[in-house]
Amino acid sequence: MTVVVRKLAGHLARGLVMIFVVASISFFIIRNIPGDPMLAAYEKFVASGMDPAAATQQVKVIYGFQPEGSVWSQYLDYLAGLATLDLGQTVLNPGVAVTTDLFEAAKWTVIPVLTGTLLSFLVGVTMGVYAAIKRSGKLGDILNISGSLLHGVPQYVMALLLAAIFATTLQVLPLDGVADILVEPGFNGPYIASLAQHATLPVLTYCLASYGGWTLAMKSSVVTVLGDDFILAAELRGMKRSIVFRYIARNAILPLFTILALSLGLLFAGAVFIEKIFNYPGLGLKLIDAVTNRDYSLMGGAFLLITVAIVVANIFADLLYTVIDPRVRAGKEGA
Amino acid sequence: MSTIVLETSSASIRRDFWRGVWRVMKRKPSRMVGVVILLAFAFMGIFGPLFYPEHLPRDVSNTYGPMTWAHPFGTDGQGKDVFAQVVTGSRYVLLSALVTAVITVVLGAAIGLFSGFKRGRWDTVLMRLTDMKLTIPGLPLLLVLTTVWQFGSAVEMGLVLGLLGWGSVARAVRAQTLSLRERGFIEAARGLGLSTTHIVGKELLPSMAPYIAMNMLIAVTGAVYAQVGLFFLGVLPYEADNWGVMLNLAVFGGGAMTTPSALPYLLAPLLAILLLTLGIVLVVDAMDEIFNPRLREE
Amino acid sequence: MSKQAPGVRIDGLTVTYNNLPAVRQVSLELAAGTITGIVGESGSGKSTLALSLLNAVQPPGRIAGGSVEIDGLGDVVALRGEDLRKARGAKIGYVFQAAQNSLNPLKTVGKQLLDLGRSHGVDDLRGLVRDAKELLGRMGLDGNRVLDSHQHELSGGMRQRVGIMLALVLNAHLVVLDEPTTALDMITQANILKIIREVHEERGLTTMVITHDIGVVAEVADRLAVMYGGRLVEQGPTREVLASPQHPYTRGLIRAIPRLTGDIDEARALPGRPPTLATVPAEGCVFRERCPLRMEVCDTVDPETQSIGGRLVACHAVKVKEHA
Repeated sequence: MTVVVRKLAGHLARGLVMIFVVASISFFIIRNIPGDPMLAAYEKFVASGMDPAAATQQVKVIYGFQPEGSVWSQYLDYLAGLATLDLGQTVLNPGVAVTTDLFEAAKWTVIPVLTGTLLSFLVGVTMGVYAAIKRSGKLGDILNISGSLLHGVPQYVMALLLAAIFATTLQVLPLDGVADILVEPGFNGPYIASLAQHATLPVLTYCLASYGGWTLAMKSSVVTVLGDDFILAAELRGMKRSIVFRYIARNAILPLFTILALSLGLLFAGAVFIEKIFNYPGLGLKLIDAVTNRDYSLMGGAFLLITVAIVVANIFADLLYTVIDPRVRAGKEGA
Repeated sequence: MSTIVLETSSASIRRDFWRGVWRVMKRKPSRMVGVVILLAFAFMGIFGPLFYPEHLPRDVSNTYGPMTWAHPFGTDGQGKDVFAQVVTGSRYVLLSALVTAVITVVLGAAIGLFSGFKRGRWDTVLMRLTDMKLTIPGLPLLLVLTTVWQFGSAVEMGLVLGLLGWGSVARAVRAQTLSLRERGFIEAARGLGLSTTHIVGKELLPSMAPYIAMNMLIAVTGAVYAQVGLFFLGVLPYEADNWGVMLNLAVFGGGAMTTPSALPYLLAPLLAILLLTLGIVLVVDAMDEIFNPRLREE
Repeated sequence: MSKQAPGVRIDGLTVTYNNLPAVRQVSLELAAGTITGIVGESGSGKSTLALSLLNAVQPPGRIAGGSVEIDGLGDVVALRGEDLRKARGAKIGYVFQAAQNSLNPLKTVGKQLLDLGRSHGVDDLRGLVRDAKELLGRMGLDGNRVLDSHQHELSGGMRQRVGIMLALVLNAHLVVLDEPTTALDMITQANILKIIREVHEERGLTTMVITHDIGVVAEVADRLAVMYGGRLVEQGPTREVLASPQHPYTRGLIRAIPRLTGDIDEARALPGRPPTLATVPAEGCVFRERCPLRMEVCDTVDPETQSIGGRLVACHAVKVKEHA
């Protein structure tokens, strides 16, 4: 267990550095935006009859730091706010804290991304095993080529094609947010059905976007394991096929957990496209709305939260790896 | 593209190399197709815009027109020919992708080589940096950057994407350098009294060139996706005809998601992207076999 | 005990890889209760021969002809599916080279032992674990500790003993050991050979040892068979073959062993290289390229195996000498 703890500590330290770096990028971008939005906001507040001190305070509430003062005092101010999870207020939704707004949106990203990833992981890994076993046959070729193509196509192309087919041409699936606005939200049948219907296309896109990667990765992993001595050894000891299959699968799937982290990261980043196309109000859509409407505190917050999600996914995948692989657990990497 | 980096000092090696290329190409005709597709795109990017006037003619009586011989992919919301827009838009897309690829490869290879060659403290610092770069989500970062930078020209766009994209190439090149080092490559060259510049320039780079060239092609695809995506999201001003702008107008302006008649306008740039992807996938597959001796022998 | 040991008769066995013969027309008898050593350089077909005993030649290789009769099992070449699977492990034990990772890296030895038991329908798994611990203890290991370990926690010598345990724990009485001492240090080698010999006697086994090291055979084997280019060129009782080798290849092999006593120059390596699957001659004697006694007939006619004083030799030159 000490290895796990040590690794976790290392990850947390690195994660904190990452968050610090990303927060700094946000700060300096916001601080250096042409036209100085803070000053503009301050002047607007003053012009609307607020007294200067209150206006200064209001700007601080929104952006997380004072409109005046040196860069460094502003920077420290901003970081101090960050430490208490205060990222300012969103302009698009006046009076609402950025964190509240984003946590509200996060579920519309996290749930579809995780569902899509898990589904595609299961299907892709299974297909990868077939692609490996049947690699010299027709089925293997088909699985391989379709995997490569799906892997190569960018997410938004996939999303647009799916939308063009299912929403525009066939008109069987909707593109308007998370649920039908006419349905009463709550824990009732019609609402849940509407939720599921609206989630189908986003989840399907996440699925297809990562399916190819899983198939290709699992295929090459299985091919490698099939050549390992211990598989032949198990067969020569007369082990049951199901047990040998389990030996292969478990050893082959192991390296895929590192890819899982990267893939989750990519999907969180790619959520921008998918949420924009399907009008799905998750973190990605928040980020675009913030960028197009110049809502800087919301933009910085969304960027930060997406990074945090990726860092967390990385840590989780690595811990999983540590738990599953006894070699890593024993601290003898690559033994 | 690969020939630039593959230059070797000996002419006979070059001749053998081209013979090998030819053999690999002949074995799977699909690879030929890949090369043809890439050449066609290059031609389109260089000469395509010359075939059309600077401002494409509009025809308000024929908006979102159907696919005909005159308009193979119909017309857009202003009655402009869609196919012509794909062709004229390709220059921006391909030029910036090329710039990205060059910067990615030069920066990535330099950092990777340096890191793998020096090892020790430099290596640790550079790789930590690379890891960090790989973790920061690229697309969200680009979106945030659009608020301070408008990526006016194709070259500027390529520059930014290149500066953001060298991480994976650096990692790959470093791993390759380390493995060459492990095989005693560098020590042997040192023993012969060769200078560092010579070892890197004449020994390491040529043996890694195929690797780098493949990464370059992959970087091109990534760059195309990223910039088309940025324009598609509508966070950049529409400077010129561009596939991403077309997608944006089709989806959010033309209502291609609601009216099937606008579909061709949406599908044309998508098709262009898919075709380019296919070409690159096929060529990378061929290069993989040319440069991977394990696959070649079979 | 030795009544349980099965006899094995290999007859006219031919194994091909993509139509190239790796083992050609090999006939060999393993008498019940003996240890037979198969000696050959890499590429001689000895490992393929060993796998043939379990009908486990790996694709693209296949057994193209001949039979392997094992007492109590019949012809294993004809065995298929579940019958074949159950014979492996339960009737025939196979021990891998120590350097090869013959254990699943993700599971402890104990768990793999249980997998083995379940695969062969062992009801008394506790009994199986007890037997395994006893065997491990017999070989000088701490059974509890080993069963609780993963492969990466064991040394080469320990892995090899675990391999032997797994081959014997189901009470197989025919055991095939593939390069059992390769990649082990000298002391561990000696230990393993001693264990092989002792366990063989105690449990009443029929044992086949594959090796490139003629010293190993000299140590443990009752009988010795020499392979070259997929052919068995000479076989007979170990002591006799070592004392007066008949086939020029066997002579060369023995001469190539450096001795502790005597001049180092006396140890002479065989000139040339062993043939590969692609270069082994299709007709005539397989050894002729490196043979000091090469004659014209060797180029065209495959020498037949003939019995010379309790010994089987396949060489034209030996025949000529006998006639002379």
